[in-house]
Amino acid sequence: MKRPLLFTLSVFAATMGIVSCGVDPNSPGVEYMPDMYRSPAVEAYVDYGSSKHLDWTQSQKDEAGVKPILARIPAAGSVAYMGQDAIFGMPYALPNDTSGYSRAAKEIHSPLLSSKENIEKGIVLFNRFCQHCHGKEGHGDGKISQNGHIAGIPDYATKLKDLEEGKIYHTLQYGKGLMGSHASQMSQKERWQVIEYVKCLQKGITSPEFDSKGMLKMPVASADADSTKKI
Amino acid sequence: MKRLLASFKKAAILSITAITMSTSAFAVSIHEGGDAAKGEQLFKANCASCHKITDEVLAAPGLKGIADRWKGKDELLVKWVQNPNAAIATGDAYVKGLIAQYAANFGVMPGQAVTKEDINHIMTYVASGASAGGGAGAQAASADQCITLEDLEKLEPEDLEEGQDIYLVNQDKGGSSAFIWIVIIALILLVIGISGANISRSLKNAQAESESEEDHRSYLQMAKDWMWKNKKFVSVMGLFLFCYFFVVGYGTLMDIGVYEGYNPEQPIWFSHAAHVCKNEIDCQYCHSSAAKSKHAGIPSVNVCMNCHKGIKNGAVTKETEIAKIYEAIGFDPKTGQYRTDVEKKPIVWNKVHNLPDHVYFNHSQHVTVGKIDCRQCHGPVDLYTTGRQATTAQINAMIKDPNYKGITSGVNGQPVASTLIELTKPTLTMGWCIECHNKSKVDLASNDYYVEMHERYKSTEAGRRALRGLLQENINEEREASSWGKMPDTLAPSLSVKGLGGWECGKCHY
Repeated sequence: MKRPLLFTLSVFAATMGIVSCGVDPNSPGVEYMPDMYRSPAVEAYVDYGSSKHLDWTQSQKDEAGVKPILARIPAAGSVAYMGQDAIFGMPYALPNDTSGYSRAAKEIHSPLLSSKENIEKGIVLFNRFCQHCHGKEGHGDGKISQNGHIAGIPDYATKLKDLEEGKIYHTLQYGKGLMGSHASQMSQKERWQVIEYVKCLQKGITSPEFDSKGMLKMPVASADADSTKKI
Repeated sequence: MKRLLASFKKAAILSITAITMSTSAFAVSIHEGGDAAKGEQLFKANCASCHKITDEVLAAPGLKGIADRWKGKDELLVKWVQNPNAAIATGDAYVKGLIAQYAANFGVMPGQAVTKEDINHIMTYVASGASAGGGAGAQAASADQCITLEDLEKLEPEDLEEGQDIYLVNQDKGGSSAFIWIVIIALILLVIGISGANISRSLKNAQAESESEEDHRSYLQMAKDWMWKNKKFVSVMGLFLFCYFFVVGYGTLMDIGVYEGYNPEQPIWFSHAAHVCKNEIDCQYCHSSAAKSKHAGIPSVNVCMNCHKGIKNGAVTKETEIAKIYEAIGFDPKTGQYRTDVEKKPIVWNKVHNLPDHVYFNHSQHVTVGKIDCRQCHGPVDLYTTGRQATTAQINAMIKDPNYKGITSGVNGQPVASTLIELTKPTLTMGWCIECHNKSKVDLASNDYYVEMHERYKSTEAGRRALRGLLQENINEEREASSWGKMPDTLAPSLSVKGLGGWECGKCHY
């Protein structure tokens, strides 16, 4: 009678084996059709460099020159296809040095109008890309500054009141001081839209108002000289 | 002779003291005598974005020891701070050295609008070497409000604040298996007990019979005989086992392809809570391509460096995790410069959200066109450390929780509960997708994308006909839903994504 007992026990051992699968946090769980999830076609953020050679050791991979396919910098000189916004697709001409910075003040100007459309998009982008350091109203009092991580972020309305738009653009392109380049996150048009809002903040306008034509109402009337060229 | 020497010594000492006294009386160095407290304020407002008062290079050389480096050049230092180009024009060798060393990386310091007295205060503060201060205290104050799911998991159930436990529901798949184990062990004990009783009884019976008779039956035959003998027991156990395997098997099969709560290890222990909750960085600062492309994107290291060029010491993990970013991009935190002699190594993150090949999902369509809050699908990200796949329970918990603080702005700054939709199916399954496509309402009138589409429809006769059909369909639907035969109060159609074709196979499947 001992053997039937063994049989019963083995059945339960098998049950345990089945049930105990899958509590490893690094395993997503059972896949229905694994080849649908781990496809040979290239997908974003899948490490093909190593997953195609799972049985290889690191030294074997090094020897064969197998490297992970991850985010890469576009080839030098590549120009993004911009469709109708072609003027925003041109590469930035000025070099990343002090002479470029001072030249930007005179040579680089916003191609955008200070219109409702541009400034409102600028506000959205400012809240996304700038406010955590520069603060919601640009006083340099964002959360990162309040938490003591980065100190001395200048206020647009006082210290940077007279900063030229070209220099702001140059800074977004290359970074300046502790601020890094934001060229990889914002398109050229988006950068100019942010600058349109920053120009409001420089004048102390935190909630811009617009006239019947959808143009920014200035506290002091000043005609935009070359508004005909802008879009 | 001795006396002569002594007097000579005396005279020498006297003269030296006289000289030092006279110099200090004539010109007090700019590095002393100022008000350190005032200097701290001025330093933070004007200098702290690039300089530290230690010897660490931030975006400019650290100021520790500046009194020795600029000794006797107070006038030049003032000139340098107020108008660096004028100081360069003097042709001073030390200034030239500074330019050669730092200008290529950090540029030339812009002139600062400070007076000579201000500089005196600042230099006194720098010389006093007091810590930058303020930072640590402020950090601790806001840290308490940002709790992570890991923190919640560590707490005992009675320590959880009211409403916090709802985030932990169903988030660990391992939890339910503990119950299964208890059931299994109980069953094994039961079987052993019953079998034991059977054996002892059979042994007694066997002893009564002749012991010389050998058993030639096969194991299978023995099992069959045993089962035949214990018909009742076997049939009850069999039924039980069948039901058990059916339930467990069904559960396992239903779990296939469901990856809720998947939270793999990552090469860097990144805390979403620290970035999103404490420092209020918008999701799309790092995942900037979510608005423009199919993929939300994991930020490349240069995006990390936009802040971590300056932030070298994290609040939670201090320097260890941030050092991994520096290693990846080849940045030397001591000199504040990128190294050219090391190879850059990409960070190989583990993919968390994975859809099968035959599914087409586009982030920009949901984020930019649909204006859907990230949290609708990704859950309370401000409670996460490393990225994880949200569970439906967590997403619903966020909607129900009246105390949920929420990520920075949300969608149009509205409270979470009003913008999110409560769903029932597990995340990243097809049921979940189409459930949301059915429940979500599309606001055609205030959405540029649909306004433009509407104009295009209106411009052709076929388009107008299609619009009329759509309107009628929605009126019918609403009439059915509200009460039989009665016209709805408003004729404004409330379109769901399904109404716009969100249930068409080809929308989401290749």
